Amino acid sequence: MGTTIIGVTYNGGVVLGADSRTSTGMYIANRASDKITQLTDNVYVCRSGSAADSQIISDYVRYYLHQHTIQLGQPATVKVAANLVRLISYNNKNMLETGLIVGGWDKYEGGKIYGIPLGGTIIEQPFAIGGSGSSYLYGFFDQAWKEGMTKDEAEQLVVKAVSLAIARDGASGGVVRTVIINEEGVTRNFYTGDKLPLWHEELEPHNSLLDILNASVPEPMST
Amino acid sequence: MTKQQANWSPYDNNGGSCVAIAGADYCVIAADTRMSTGYNILTRDYSKICKLADKCVMASSGFQADVRALQKVLAARHLIYQHQHNKQMSCPAMGQLLSNTLYYKRFFPYYSFNVLGGLDNEGKGCVFTYDAVGSYERVGYSSQGSGSTLIMPFLDNQLKSPSPLLLPAQDAVTPLSESEAIDLVKTCFASATERDIYTGDKLEIVILNADGIRREYMELRKD
Amino acid sequence: MSKVAVDVPPKGGFSFDLCRRNAMLSEKGLRPSSFLKTGTTIVGLIFQDGVILGADTRATEGPIVADKNCEKIHYMAPNIYCCGAGTAADTEAVTDMVSSQLQLHRYHTSRESRVVTALTLLKSHLFSYQGHVQAALVLGGVDVTGPHLHTIYPHGSTDTLPFATMGSGSLAAMSVFESKYREGLTRDEGINLVTEAICAGIFNDLGSGSNVDVCVITKGHKDYLRNHQSPNPRTYVSSKGYSFPKKTEVLVTKITPLKEVVEVTEGGDAMEE
Repeated sequence: MGTTIIGVTYNGGVVLGADSRTSTGMYIANRASDKITQLTDNVYVCRSGSAADSQIISDYVRYYLHQHTIQLGQPATVKVAANLVRLISYNNKNMLETGLIVGGWDKYEGGKIYGIPLGGTIIEQPFAIGGSGSSYLYGFFDQAWKEGMTKDEAEQLVVKAVSLAIARDGASGGVVRTVIINEEGVTRNFYTGDKLPLWHEELEPHNSLLDILNASVPEPMST
Repeated sequence: MTKQQANWSPYDNNGGSCVAIAGADYCVIAADTRMSTGYNILTRDYSKICKLADKCVMASSGFQADVRALQKVLAARHLIYQHQHNKQMSCPAMGQLLSNTLYYKRFFPYYSFNVLGGLDNEGKGCVFTYDAVGSYERVGYSSQGSGSTLIMPFLDNQLKSPSPLLLPAQDAVTPLSESEAIDLVKTCFASATERDIYTGDKLEIVILNADGIRREYMELRKD
Repeated sequence: MSKVAVDVPPKGGFSFDLCRRNAMLSEKGLRPSSFLKTGTTIVGLIFQDGVILGADTRATEGPIVADKNCEKIHYMAPNIYCCGAGTAADTEAVTDMVSSQLQLHRYHTSRESRVVTALTLLKSHLFSYQGHVQAALVLGGVDVTGPHLHTIYPHGSTDTLPFATMGSGSLAAMSVFESKYREGLTRDEGINLVTEAICAGIFNDLGSGSNVDVCVITKGHKDYLRNHQSPNPRTYVSSKGYSFPKKTEVLVTKITPLKEVVEVTEGGDAMEE
């Protein structure tokens, strides 16, 4: 699953973002996939790498957190969720090929983002990027991420970043999905591919290639 | 140290089946018109049958790029023959020429599986069957290509003389009448198309007899 | 400096590195075997009151058609069916196994099976075999939570989609869906679109062929339309017909009567503990 996934903290919560392309080799198996998966009411995870591996990990973690929430009698924290993901990723590192970004909000620590890359490391970060598209975004985030952004600023940053990655990374594409998590709860948004900003040398969307061809046909020569 | 390996092949297999049947005063040569690669159909209307001389027709399956190159060589050699001898090449002569041409490329063969059909100098039907490097034999009937494993046993059952000791191979023309032979060929292809995925779309039949050359078509399954 | 992608042996000559391994493996009885593959077109879509599944009916073994009219839409539960592509034995076994688990689950709970239950059972089985169980599935059904359509890959990943295709003909079929699918299709429109998508696979993919099977699942009802369309009849049947009268020639006859060679020996070795 060639992917672009992002998690960003802002003053009051987190914004998670992802593209929607799932490909098998040259073929796009799903152009509207949802790579931002719910773990609990207040914690979500962005998945990259093998679709099967990342799905199985999030299924297990969701199940463990469900039990944990019942035993505790209160919502699980983001840290607990991220540590469960890490535990499974680390213990089965020889069999797994997936990088995940866990993000959410809890009453103890507020909005938190944890990156769990391939080997099962866990890193708490103000923002995290992942997937094949992320290599196009490091410089952009170094420049554009600011401490203490508002919710809207953070979401616009995420949408802009994913659309930039989609423009350059062939394995990312489709729509941009975002999930905003804060004290009030969760908001899901999505931005269709034809509404995204056009970057350097990108073409307007067309329904048919024939439209482009017909538009540029020169007048026939007259005698 | 990893070993170097060719990850590209100069050959492809475009499938298709060919049949030729010799009678006392006629010869029937037939092939389907499907050209394919892997699981894809490239075209449903490609003739595998080539007229090499007035009384000599070749049907070829295998790799059609090699087949075309082979046909071009034979056409050139036949042109030279006509200039030198002021006559058309006989079918047995063309049979020997085809064998020589194939063996000339013994260590980088033409990937083509041919049957040559025509009338010999006495006006009797003759069929020559080949492997890819030029081994050949004069027979009464033959089949080559992807459906040959299905067609050949049926032809053997219907046409084979009781024992090869009773009848010399070159006299082994079939006892059928011309219309019976055409009916047999049609049945062969209709049946092979049922079970061979590379055979289908349309059947092209060329009939050579004292009156000259005639061509017929019959529809086959298109799945 | 760019490096060549593969290392080349420093000297010429052949490498026999794997010969001993291969000899050992074949000695232990490992040989590459050919499986019955259903080079296939299977599809599914959600229409206004349920789910429609479709499949072609060709099973192949290499270039040979092994079965001209096989069934690729498998029963999972009364309200759930599943199309299978890949190795025929695997799709058959995995769907049979899960359908029996669903049956037991229904006896246990006295409730209609849910599509997500079937989905989870299938994906956890396939994941545990790490893609070696070669089954690519389109799972569809209607349960208390409404109509559902999923695709399941051999490695155990799943997708949830309004329209889906799988198998070697999936690209041909998807081209039909991508240009003509819309939300809220009627039953007849849905069946026609599924049939058209399967036909695209039948005619343009050599791994798919013969007839169109369709299964329509709505709330509390299903219609299994076996051979809904047969667009590939045989094109020629000889008017006189052919017989196979020739017998195998008998060259020599020799009869060797069987002898009784059973020997019973007294005693023998005692069983050890």
